[in-house]
Amino acid sequence: MTSGRAFGSKLLLFFLLLVFWVVLTASLALHELVMGAVCAAFVVTLTVALLGRALDPRITPGVLLRLPVFMVRLVWEIIKANLNVAGIILHPRLPVDPRIVEYRTYLPGDLPRTVFSDSITLTPGTVTVELKGDVLNVHCLCPYHEDGLPGLERLVAWLFGVKPPGEVKGDG
Amino acid sequence: MDKFLTAVALVIGLNAVICLYRAAVGPTTQDRVLGVNIVGTKTLVVVILVTYILAENYFLDVAIVYALLLFVVTVALCRYLEAEGWKEVR
Amino acid sequence: MAARDIVAAVFCCIGTFFFIIGTTGLIRMPDLFTRLHPSTKCDTLGACSVILGMAVHNGWSWDLLKLVFIMCFLLLSSATCGHAIGRSALRRNIPYWKKKEETEDGHGA
Repeated sequence: MTSGRAFGSKLLLFFLLLVFWVVLTASLALHELVMGAVCAAFVVTLTVALLGRALDPRITPGVLLRLPVFMVRLVWEIIKANLNVAGIILHPRLPVDPRIVEYRTYLPGDLPRTVFSDSITLTPGTVTVELKGDVLNVHCLCPYHEDGLPGLERLVAWLFGVKPPGEVKGDG
Repeated sequence: MDKFLTAVALVIGLNAVICLYRAAVGPTTQDRVLGVNIVGTKTLVVVILVTYILAENYFLDVAIVYALLLFVVTVALCRYLEAEGWKEVR
Repeated sequence: MAARDIVAAVFCCIGTFFFIIGTTGLIRMPDLFTRLHPSTKCDTLGACSVILGMAVHNGWSWDLLKLVFIMCFLLLSSATCGHAIGRSALRRNIPYWKKKEETEDGHGA
């Protein structure tokens, strides 16, 4: 079963690289495709030899299918964040009260935590400045900005198919 | 449309010059890195605008390489700055 | 054809507006950590908006895919760059500005 999953992950990486090749060369001619397939296979072999695995095992076709919906919701959050930050910057008295809060996340593994911290950085008034284990140090522009974190965490958990535990508590 | 795009590119370039102020006087080195990063993002957008002003679509490949290089430069510089034994020079 | 140009122009104007906001924030904010906010958010949305406008101006072709790729990569990379700069500042123990002690003014110089 593990070898089957490893092969599936290699195949997924191969197709992602092939799509990237097609985007870069901007043609669908046969010789370009063959050259791209050879290069993609070479890169997959090199990746497995150097890193020991092709892709993070959490990247599955289901996650890739849910990614566009996630992106749309994230872009909506980003637009709200920008209007908020623009209001703060253009305010004549600059109403900021910055602080660094610690947030303990329940998301397992490196990849969901990375996606979560990147999403935090792009959403209202919060920037992740350090990620150590399951504790994130988040710099908040205003105190009310940290209220948006649990909703974002739920969004990322939905993307990776992680079930939230019974009680989730972010301690400030 | 060409004139409008040129005007947009000029405004963004002016913004980049103002951002250079932060890169020049930033009190800490991280401020300078941040300023350079922002100037790089604006340059990337100007390159994309120039693609359509001159109607030469190979500039898009330049833009892709610029985006990848900007990311690598910023991350490498930050890793270098947080290494041990590095002293702040003002 | 004209309608497409108008949509592209509107996206370019939105992007330029957010670029100006980002520059203002970069000059006005009191310390490094607060400067990260306008740089990571406003700059990313400004760049993505201008690129989206250019994608509309471009229409359906292979260049559209390249523009979309640049946009996705910019969303990922600018967040990671902000994180890297913030972490190196935190490891260097650069103090962050609080509201109580009003020692620095808007320029922080």
